Amino acid sequence: MTDVLFPPLSTQRPDAEGVVTRWFVADGETVSAGQLVAEVQVDKVDAEVVAPAGGVLRVLVPEDGTARQGAAIARVDEV
Amino acid sequence: MTTTQEPLSTAPHGTHRLTTAKAVAEAIALEMRADPSVLCLGEDIGAYGGIFGATTGLLDEFGPQRVIDTPISETAFIGLGIGAAVEGMRPVVELMFADFMGVCLDQIYNHMAKIHYESGGNVTVPMVLTTAVGGGYSDAAQHSQCLWGTFAHLPGMKVVAPSNPYDAKGLMASAIRDDGPVVYMFHKGVMGLAWMARNDRAVADVPEGAYTVPIGEAAVAREGSDVSVVTISKSVHHALDVAERMAADGVSVEVLDLRSLVPLDRTAILATVAKTGRLVVVDEDYQSFGLSGEVVATVTDVDPGLFHAAPVRVANPDTPVPYSRPLEQVVLPGPDRIEAACRRVLAV
Amino acid sequence: MTTTTPTRGATGLDPSVRRELYRTMVLIRTYEEAVRREYYADKGPGFDIGKGLVPGEMHLSAGQEPVAAGICAHLTTDDAVTATHRPHHLAIAHGVDMAAMTAEIFGRETGLGHGRGGHMHLFDPATHFSCSGIIAEGYPPALGQAFAFQRRGSDRVAVAVTGEGAANQGAFHESLNLAALWRLPVVFVVEDNDWGISVPRSASTSVPSNAARGAAYGIPGVRVEDNAVEAVYAAAAEAVARARAGDGPSLIEVHTLRLWGHFEGDAQGYRTDLDGVPGRDPLPTYRATLEADGVLGAGAADDIARAASERVESVIAAAKAAPLPDPAQAQSYVLA
Repeated sequence: MTDVLFPPLSTQRPDAEGVVTRWFVADGETVSAGQLVAEVQVDKVDAEVVAPAGGVLRVLVPEDGTARQGAAIARVDEV
Repeated sequence: MTTTQEPLSTAPHGTHRLTTAKAVAEAIALEMRADPSVLCLGEDIGAYGGIFGATTGLLDEFGPQRVIDTPISETAFIGLGIGAAVEGMRPVVELMFADFMGVCLDQIYNHMAKIHYESGGNVTVPMVLTTAVGGGYSDAAQHSQCLWGTFAHLPGMKVVAPSNPYDAKGLMASAIRDDGPVVYMFHKGVMGLAWMARNDRAVADVPEGAYTVPIGEAAVAREGSDVSVVTISKSVHHALDVAERMAADGVSVEVLDLRSLVPLDRTAILATVAKTGRLVVVDEDYQSFGLSGEVVATVTDVDPGLFHAAPVRVANPDTPVPYSRPLEQVVLPGPDRIEAACRRVLAV
Repeated sequence: MTTTTPTRGATGLDPSVRRELYRTMVLIRTYEEAVRREYYADKGPGFDIGKGLVPGEMHLSAGQEPVAAGICAHLTTDDAVTATHRPHHLAIAHGVDMAAMTAEIFGRETGLGHGRGGHMHLFDPATHFSCSGIIAEGYPPALGQAFAFQRRGSDRVAVAVTGEGAANQGAFHESLNLAALWRLPVVFVVEDNDWGISVPRSASTSVPSNAARGAAYGIPGVRVEDNAVEAVYAAAAEAVARARAGDGPSLIEVHTLRLWGHFEGDAQGYRTDLDGVPGRDPLPTYRATLEADGVLGAGAADDIARAASERVESVIAAAKAAPLPDPAQAQSYVLA
C-alpha cells in the first residue's frame, strides 16, 4: 500500500492547506505508476499528482476537499 | 456529453479523463512526436506551460529547441512563425490573449492570412495561431474578449473554437495538420483550470491516441425539437445547462455546437432551424457586425420562411467588458439570458 | 581607341564581377523604365490611377539598383529575400523569373500569383522571394525563413529589406532584437533614399544613421554613404559571410537614391533636392568608372543595354499577350 501525497507547492507557506481540485480517476479504479490521477492547488499554484505505484486507488480526500501539503489524499493498494 | 450530476465513473478502455487544457497539450505532443517539423512558440509557453495550460508538459518532453519562450514581441514571433511555415515547418504560435491582436494584427491578417492568396496558391503557411479568449472572471475590458467575429471576418484563415476536451484535442490535431493558417481560440472557461471557477463540462474522457475532428463541421451537442440554440465555445456549456433545466418543463432544446467559424457549417445551421423553426444564437463576442448576425443571415439568405418566429440573439452588447462582477455578469450571455431568449422565441 | 587592361578598381573586385554588377543594374533600370512607360501609356486623359494595363499604385526602384546588385551578388536562389512595396530591383537581382513577375505586374493568370498579388505582392517560392506592402512588416517573416534555415543546419541566409522610414516602426525593432537574441542568419538592409514619401529622414528619425541603431540590439551596423555598388558589395560580403558562419545578423544601411517619385504620379512638389537628383544617378557614374578602368570596352555598354532591352521588351510583350484571370475563379486560393 502506497500513499498518494499532496505535493509541497508553497515554500513560503509549507503548512498551508490546499484543495484537491480534480480527480481524474474514480475510487476503486486500477491505476499504473506515473498515471495522472489528480490535480491539486495551493493559492494560485496548481500541480498534477501522479500515482506513485500501480494498483487500486482509494480516494481519501474528495474533490473540493482540503488537505495539508504532504498529507495523504489517496492510497494505492498494490494487487 | 458528460453531465454535471453523475458520479465520476471509470474511463472506458483506451481513453483517459482530461481537462480541455491537458487535451490541447496532449494533441500538440502527439503531433510533435509524429512530425519533427512541429514546434511551439509564444510567451510563457515553455517553462510555465502556457498561462492557460495549453502547452503544459511540452518543454519537458521536447526541450527548448522545439518549445520556445519568446520575448514580448508578437509582431516578430508571429511573423517568424509565418516565415518558418513558408519554409515548411509547422509552428504552433500562441498569442497569449486574443485581446492582444492589436499589436500584431498586420502579421496575422495581412500576411499569415493573405500570402497563400497573393501568391496564387504557390506559397502555403501551415501555421496554427492559438489564443485564449473569453471572460467571466473579472479580467475586464482588455483581457476578456472573444473577438472571433473579427478573425472570422478577415479572409484567408480558418477559425476554430472548441467547447470540450474531445473536440479540443481533435481540432488541434486537424489544425496542425492543415496546410493553411488556423486560428485556434480556446475559451479560458472551458480549459478546466484549477484556478478558475469549477466547470465539470471542462473534463471528459478522451481517447489516448491521436485522432482528428474535422474543421468546418458543427456538432449537435444535444438533440431537441422545440428550439435551436446555435452557439460556440463556453456558451455551449451554458446552453446545455439551460437545455437540462428546460427539459424539466417539457421543452426540448437542441444545441448546435458550431466548433468552427471558418469554414462555417451553414448546412448544419439550416438543418437545425428547418427542424425547429426557432433560433436562438448565443455569441460571447460583441453583438453587432459579427457571428450572431452571420448565423441569422445564413438562414435568411436561403429561406427566411424557415423561421416560425423572429430569431433571438444573445450576445455581449456593444460594450467593453466591465470589471465589476454584477456588471460583467449581465454583459456576458449567461444561462439566464439564454433561457429567457428560448422562452421568448417559443412564445410566438 | 586605346585599350586599357581591366583593373580591379578601388575595391579590388574582379573585372567579371564588376561587369556583372553593371549588367544587373542596367537590366533593372531598363525594366523600370519600361514598366514606367507601360504604366503611363493608358492612364489618360489626365491621370486615372485605376486605368490601363498596369493599374493601381506603382513604386519603381530607379536609383536604388546598387543595393540590389551589390547584395544579391552574394546570394543563391536558396537564400531568401523579403522586399518592400518597391521590390522590382531586388526581384530581378535575386533571379525571380522575369516573365512570371511581369505577368503578375500586368495582372495576368500566368503571373507569379495568378494575378492575385500584383506588383507589391510578388511571391516566388523557387527563389524564396517575397514582398510586403506594409512598411517594416517584411522583416518578421524573414526571421522565420532564417530560423528554418538555421534549424536545418544549412548556411542559407535571409536578406530582409526595408526603407529608412520603416526603421521607426515597431516591427523593425522587434525583429532586430529577436534576430540578435536567437543569432538568426539574417542580413537586415535599410535603403535610405532620404524620403518616406514626402517626409525627409530628418523629420522622422531621431538619429542620423539607422546603422547605429544596430548597436542597441547587439548587431553590427554599417552605413554605405554614397550609393556605390562596390561599397554595397563589400559590406554585403561581410554580412552574408557572418550569417552563413552562424555568427548572427548584421545591419547594412545604404544611402541610396530615389530617382523618381515615391509612386508613379507623384509630382514631388515637396522634394527640395530635386535639382541635384539627375547628377546622383549611379548608373552613368559606374559606367564611366568601368570604361575608364577598361572593364567595359568600346561598345560594351551599348551591347549590355541592347541585351537588357530585348529581354525586357520580350517579357512585357508576353505579359500583354497573356490571359487575364477568370473572374469566376476570384475566390480560388483563399484557403489552402
